Amino acid sequence: MRDLLRILVSPFVWLAAFSAVYGLHGILCEIDLGATFAGASWRRLSLAIAFSLAILVQVVLLMMLHSDRFGAAPGFSRAVSRASGWVGLVAVLWTLFPVLTTTTCG
Amino acid sequence: MNALARHRRLTAIWSSNPGWKGWFSTVNHNDLGLMFLVTAFFYFLIGGVLAMLIRAQLATPRSAFAGPEIYGQLFTMHGVIMMFLFAIPAIEGLAIYLLPKMLGTRDMAYPRLTAYGYWCYFFGGAMLLVSLLFGIAPDSGWFMYPPLTGRIYSPGINTDFWLIGITFVEISAICAAVELTVSILRYRAPGMSLGRMPIFAWYILVVALMILTGFPPLILGSILLELERAFGMPFFQVELGGDSLLWQHLFWLFGHPEVYIIFLPAAGVISTILPVMSSTTLLGYRWVVAATVALAILSFGLWVHHMFTTGIPHMGLAFFSAASTLVAVPTAVQVFAWIGTMWKGTPRLLLPMLYILGFFVTFVIGGLTGVMVAVVPFDWQVHDTAFVTAHLHYVLFGGFVFPLLAGLYYWLPLATGRKRYFRLGQVAFALIFVGFHVTFLAMHWVGLMGQRRRISTYGPEDGWTAINLISSIGGFVLAFGLVIVLLEVVLNVIVRHRSLRNPWRSGTLEWATTMPAPAYNFASLPQVNSREPLWDDPNLPTRIARGEFYLGDPANGQRETLIVDIATGTPQQHVVYPNNTRLPICMAAVTGIFFLSILLKVFWLAPFAMVGVATLAMRWAWTLGSKKDLGDQPIGRGVLVPNIAEVDRPPGWWGSAFLLVANATLFGSLLFGYAFLWTIAPGWPPPFFVTPSALVLITAIIGMAAAVAGIGHAVSSNRRGAKPVAGLLIALAGIAALGVSLLAFLTMAPSPTSHAYGATLWVLGSYGLVHVLVAALMLVFLLLRQQAGYMSSQRRAELAVAPLWIGYLCVTTALILFCAYLPGMVA
Repeated sequence: MRDLLRILVSPFVWLAAFSAVYGLHGILCEIDLGATFAGASWRRLSLAIAFSLAILVQVVLLMMLHSDRFGAAPGFSRAVSRASGWVGLVAVLWTLFPVLTTTTCG
Repeated sequence: MNALARHRRLTAIWSSNPGWKGWFSTVNHNDLGLMFLVTAFFYFLIGGVLAMLIRAQLATPRSAFAGPEIYGQLFTMHGVIMMFLFAIPAIEGLAIYLLPKMLGTRDMAYPRLTAYGYWCYFFGGAMLLVSLLFGIAPDSGWFMYPPLTGRIYSPGINTDFWLIGITFVEISAICAAVELTVSILRYRAPGMSLGRMPIFAWYILVVALMILTGFPPLILGSILLELERAFGMPFFQVELGGDSLLWQHLFWLFGHPEVYIIFLPAAGVISTILPVMSSTTLLGYRWVVAATVALAILSFGLWVHHMFTTGIPHMGLAFFSAASTLVAVPTAVQVFAWIGTMWKGTPRLLLPMLYILGFFVTFVIGGLTGVMVAVVPFDWQVHDTAFVTAHLHYVLFGGFVFPLLAGLYYWLPLATGRKRYFRLGQVAFALIFVGFHVTFLAMHWVGLMGQRRRISTYGPEDGWTAINLISSIGGFVLAFGLVIVLLEVVLNVIVRHRSLRNPWRSGTLEWATTMPAPAYNFASLPQVNSREPLWDDPNLPTRIARGEFYLGDPANGQRETLIVDIATGTPQQHVVYPNNTRLPICMAAVTGIFFLSILLKVFWLAPFAMVGVATLAMRWAWTLGSKKDLGDQPIGRGVLVPNIAEVDRPPGWWGSAFLLVANATLFGSLLFGYAFLWTIAPGWPPPFFVTPSALVLITAIIGMAAAVAGIGHAVSSNRRGAKPVAGLLIALAGIAALGVSLLAFLTMAPSPTSHAYGATLWVLGSYGLVHVLVAALMLVFLLLRQQAGYMSSQRRAELAVAPLWIGYLCVTTALILFCAYLPGMVA
């Protein structure tokens, strides 16, 4: 079961992060924060922080999957879990990148 | 014992009851897999006829062939039948029929659940079919968007048939998903590690997990919409705090993964057949597995791309547009793996290969138009036009029907033991391929010219006449090709032209059985050392038949198989299956009475049906277990393993764990809906929020503590050899306290019909109460089992399942109360 979890964990964390950032975006658009910080709105800053956290979690997971302590034994499970670890990281970078580039609630 | 005597003995043990009456009591995966497939293709035929009626209507402008009311039923039922009554059950049937053979075992994890799932599908499908025959079929599109499907705009029973019938059928899908997951993870041949599993098993494992997490949002949506229609609970009525967009979210949380649930098994068929047709192994097995997992999980992040025109902010659109383009990558990994497989092998242009090539062309076009509609501005242009209809048919027909037909011709000799006599398949392929592309290329074109989806007619001045006529002619050519396929299958079954064993020279285990496969599949369970055991040892079928491997001695007259370690495939547990029984069909029929009572608004009958289901479920569980300690069982080759009655995690634990995954997804979807209404719906805040009650909270905390401590005490007492009665009674008292707390909470909640807030609180509370009842029934059952002598310090499996459900109940009750009181605390 652990091998299966290693294979699934990074994409699942992406799904959780993606849903959380989308939900946060929905909530922030309903709340008028009104202020700005260093030229950026609090909405965008909050989303950017969430984006950064998602990247950080994926990087940590990827490092764990590559480590001898937490990674799978050499062979099939190690190869597939590492590949899915990269999937999680790339998916976070690609799908949440809009928090930096598009209008927030327009 | 020689091979023939062993075969006769095993056949006597494993066979279904003779004659047609045996269909009602069979629990064998060979029978049930074929029953699923035959029923699914029956619905494919009906769905196809409906498609022809649609094309007949649209062939000419201002056609009077069918009025708008009938046309609404035609296109709705075409979609409903193809998605829910054909595609998913066909996948289930194929997996149920093939997987135990491919995995080198004798049956699925829960044979009676297979039968129950089939009969739920049969009765639920029949319900929808009856509605079609009486002209009261669903008529609001297969996605059933409110407010069109609310009581005001759809006052008839048509919509209820969809909501009730589909929920009934989806019980079947959830049953199949649970047992496919457990079967693939634990019921394999010794030595078959995760990396040695047939690639088809990987695809089905991923799909089964997707069904467990993808279907519950739709089940929830259906329940909420039926509650609105039947009892006036306004989840989707904007003026009372609801929001019709909530339905779209719930529907597409299911609907988009559904596309991949349909496509991935078909891709599994391609990944299985293509290497055999190319006389080689699959290129990049590991990459294909990783791509399948990636595709499955990414598909859950795409649902809003069906809602691009609903006024979502740009950033939200960008998230889902990006995710929609990203899925092209793992899809392409698989396509390149297939191309590479052909490149490294020696492709043979046999009939299954023709359908695979047809799949390539069609699916790649469908994938490319998929990337087009993932781009928001283009989607805005073509939304709700025939272009999207054409795109989805390229993906679903190209990505599912072509591979399914390849699989049909590939595995037909295994199912019938015959080979094709008349060469009709090539003609059928030509007609299907040409007919399909004529129909749907034309549909792309007319969609770009502005023809909307679901319109019952158009005028000659629109300029769509010639294209629609071409599309209709193509549709009839396609249908003619499919009729020839049907004819060939019938001829194959009738004409006695014996096939050679393993006619395609495949390396996987399904071809190691006799053809057609016997009821027990394998006379002994083989030791597997690679992904293609038949290529390693061509003499393997003979050695299996001689009983050289595991469980080769049927002396005790029981239906036996093995459970293995998930990662390594090492034998771990000895399983004895139940015999043939009519319990599954009876339970499905009583389940059907429950759904019928809701459909026909005979609400007084519903509690009786629920009691009936609970009684039958307890009877079902009562037949398991043992009244004496069994000790370690010899399974052959000098290996001893414990029986499933004497382990900590028996099959029931695994089944419950995965069922709870589906259950948790449904609960999570409910919380999402609540949060969505709270933050997005325009009719909020409600007149007042419920404030926290100390009485409710303290009772709940006491109940949780007692339930958890009690069941823990029962488990540890039993392990020490003491009676677990005291622990079970404490747990029961705790469950009762939880029930009281939830009832008290509901008495303080606002009316469920005045505002969506009150309606949501009532659903949350009722969800908790249903689980209180389930947990209480489990504890009463355990007390009875203890009295009857089914428990001992060694036979500890009896107590394995209840802690899971009690733990789940406690967590969900805590979440229900927290979420219910949160808006009041924030306000």
